[in-house]
Amino acid sequence: MKVLVPIKRVVDYNVKVRVKADNTGVDLANVKMAMNPFCEIAVEEAVRLKEKGVVTEIVAVSIGPKTAQEQLRTAMALGADRSILVETDEDVQPLGIAKALKAIVDEEKPELVILGKQAIDGDNNQTGQMLAALTGMPQGTFASEVNVADGKVKVTREIDGGLQTVELTLPAVVTTDLRLNEPRYASLPNIMKAKKKPLDTKTAADLGVDLTPRVTTVSVEAPAERQAGIIVGSVDELVEKLKNEAKVI
Amino acid sequence: MTAFAHAAMEQLTDLLGKRLLTDQESAERYGVDWTKVWAPSPCAVALPETIDEVQQIVEIANEHGLHLVPSGGRTGLSAGAVAANNELVVAFDRMNKVLDFNEFDRAVTVQPGVVTQQLQEFAEEKGLFYPVDFASAGSSQIGGNIGTNAGGIKVIRYGMTRDWITGLKVVTGKGELLELNKGLIKNATGYDFRHLFIGSEGTLGFVVEATVKLTRQPKDLTCLVLGAPGFREVMKILHAFQQDIDLTAFEFFSDKAMAHVLAHGVPKPFDTECPFYCLLEFEQLSEQVGEQAMAIFEKCVEEGWVLDGVMSQSLQQLDQLWQLRERISESIAPHTPYKNDISVSIAKVPDFVEDVDTVVQDAYPDFEIVWFGHIGDGNMHLNILKPADLAKEDFFAKCNNVSKWVFEIVEKYNGSISAEHGVGMTKKPYLEYSRSPEEIACMKAVKQVFDPNNVMNPGKLFDV
Repeated sequence: MKVLVPIKRVVDYNVKVRVKADNTGVDLANVKMAMNPFCEIAVEEAVRLKEKGVVTEIVAVSIGPKTAQEQLRTAMALGADRSILVETDEDVQPLGIAKALKAIVDEEKPELVILGKQAIDGDNNQTGQMLAALTGMPQGTFASEVNVADGKVKVTREIDGGLQTVELTLPAVVTTDLRLNEPRYASLPNIMKAKKKPLDTKTAADLGVDLTPRVTTVSVEAPAERQAGIIVGSVDELVEKLKNEAKVI
Repeated sequence: MTAFAHAAMEQLTDLLGKRLLTDQESAERYGVDWTKVWAPSPCAVALPETIDEVQQIVEIANEHGLHLVPSGGRTGLSAGAVAANNELVVAFDRMNKVLDFNEFDRAVTVQPGVVTQQLQEFAEEKGLFYPVDFASAGSSQIGGNIGTNAGGIKVIRYGMTRDWITGLKVVTGKGELLELNKGLIKNATGYDFRHLFIGSEGTLGFVVEATVKLTRQPKDLTCLVLGAPGFREVMKILHAFQQDIDLTAFEFFSDKAMAHVLAHGVPKPFDTECPFYCLLEFEQLSEQVGEQAMAIFEKCVEEGWVLDGVMSQSLQQLDQLWQLRERISESIAPHTPYKNDISVSIAKVPDFVEDVDTVVQDAYPDFEIVWFGHIGDGNMHLNILKPADLAKEDFFAKCNNVSKWVFEIVEKYNGSISAEHGVGMTKKPYLEYSRSPEEIACMKAVKQVFDPNNVMNPGKLFDV
């Protein structure tokens, strides 16, 4: 069984992002980039399925700049067998990515697509759902447990108020939530082996898709800074302030 | 309270008002550091806000024979900031402002009560970096760092606190205010007293202002965690990497340390079990550096020095891998560990460790020895865990023997009985293992110059 794992290159989770002075976006100059944490979980799940003997081939795919090769190499160091980069310098958005992924799915015909529920840069949480809609595959989103057997995948989903288990007929799309697994580190011997694994580069034109963004960013602003609190001297003072300053009572 | 002491307290109250704390709770809070051996018993706690107030406190102390103990974040491990003998604690919590920043000098002038992390964050805001870093950076204060010449995890690349202080204002034991080196980089005008005060543990005077230089931020920090078959191989790994790469850290820890930290909930780096592990960190200034690190790793594997290893792929993983080293201390804390902080020159480390292991295990075979430390600078933290069935008193009595043996070995290898934790009271009896009688006599003579009446942190470092 072949599994496709789409991954995204994003600003490192530990970087404190700063808004550009002209409010057009976030400053990415000289900022450390890394694989989106939810994508790491997706790669880990695919690798575990392969270790269990369920999966025979893992294909990692990324839609992004040339430098996204680094993250594909990491995915291969973690256990992906080969990878595909759809190279573009566009500021790609979920719909464009989903269309590109659909084209890859048509080519590769994986039985399972495992991807992160969202990327920590845009926080859109749309790509997996859009891909499912475009390909007509069933979807199991926010997975905290994945079991594949007899041509079906059982996905335990983290939903408001509890857990829901759905059973999907393969091929299917699964998006990963935080508690699905704890990703391993890339071992140095595997990082070296990953250098020799195949990495194909394609363009949007090769796939016949249009990656032009449909949504325009008007302005990006940092969240308003919170005012420091004060310590009041007495209950009376508190009541007085709530009444006259905050005007909430 | 004697009439003398009464008069002193009255003058201090006039000077400080509510900022002279005399309640029991404050006394217990301000009178101790992380060592819990001596019970705190200060006469009061002073919270000065200005240099002038510090000078006046010192003058009052001289007049009335009052002893002063400086207090910063109180994260010390040698009882250097413990007030157990009716001293007045002078706490710098209220002198916690950043006073000046100059982008051309890349220097920041701070009051002594600025917390290390506050300085690190200030530097970051300015696009710069203050590289002295250690586990207690969230509480320790700059004044205390200077008093103890604090080191930490990046010493291999950035040196100790000493290397970052370009200017100091100190109030001596005579109450004089000295301005030392004035933030200059080049200054060839005789004795540089700044360096006498750094690491003097408050025995000569109190730091009331410091000018600290900053540096550029590290770029793309990456770490490797490697497993090695033996201690000598760890040294070979260090050597191999240092040939080609400027390491920002090189830490080691034993399999026992790893077992404790994993049991504490830190994720495992890899499955291969190894007797020793090392964590090394460097800046990936270019792709080339990464390639170089891989090539060295390959060589180390071929030579049999490395059994397995991982490399961080993000800053998040860098942080997680560092936890393997940084959380060892807390993971062994429930075992009431005996701790010692020692250093020898790097080449002597393996023999030194072997000697200590042999001596301790021969005498007390049931003691579990946990080693970790900043091996890149020859600094090791020796930890011995209390066997569960041994009473605390008996354990520490036996550990006193261990201390003596360890320091004898330190002396044999020309090392230091305190690499970065200072001497304070815990290591005072052993100073002679690292310093000659002539040297100690000179130290006492220096003390006499700056603090003739012995009011500044008496009973620490040595007895006058």
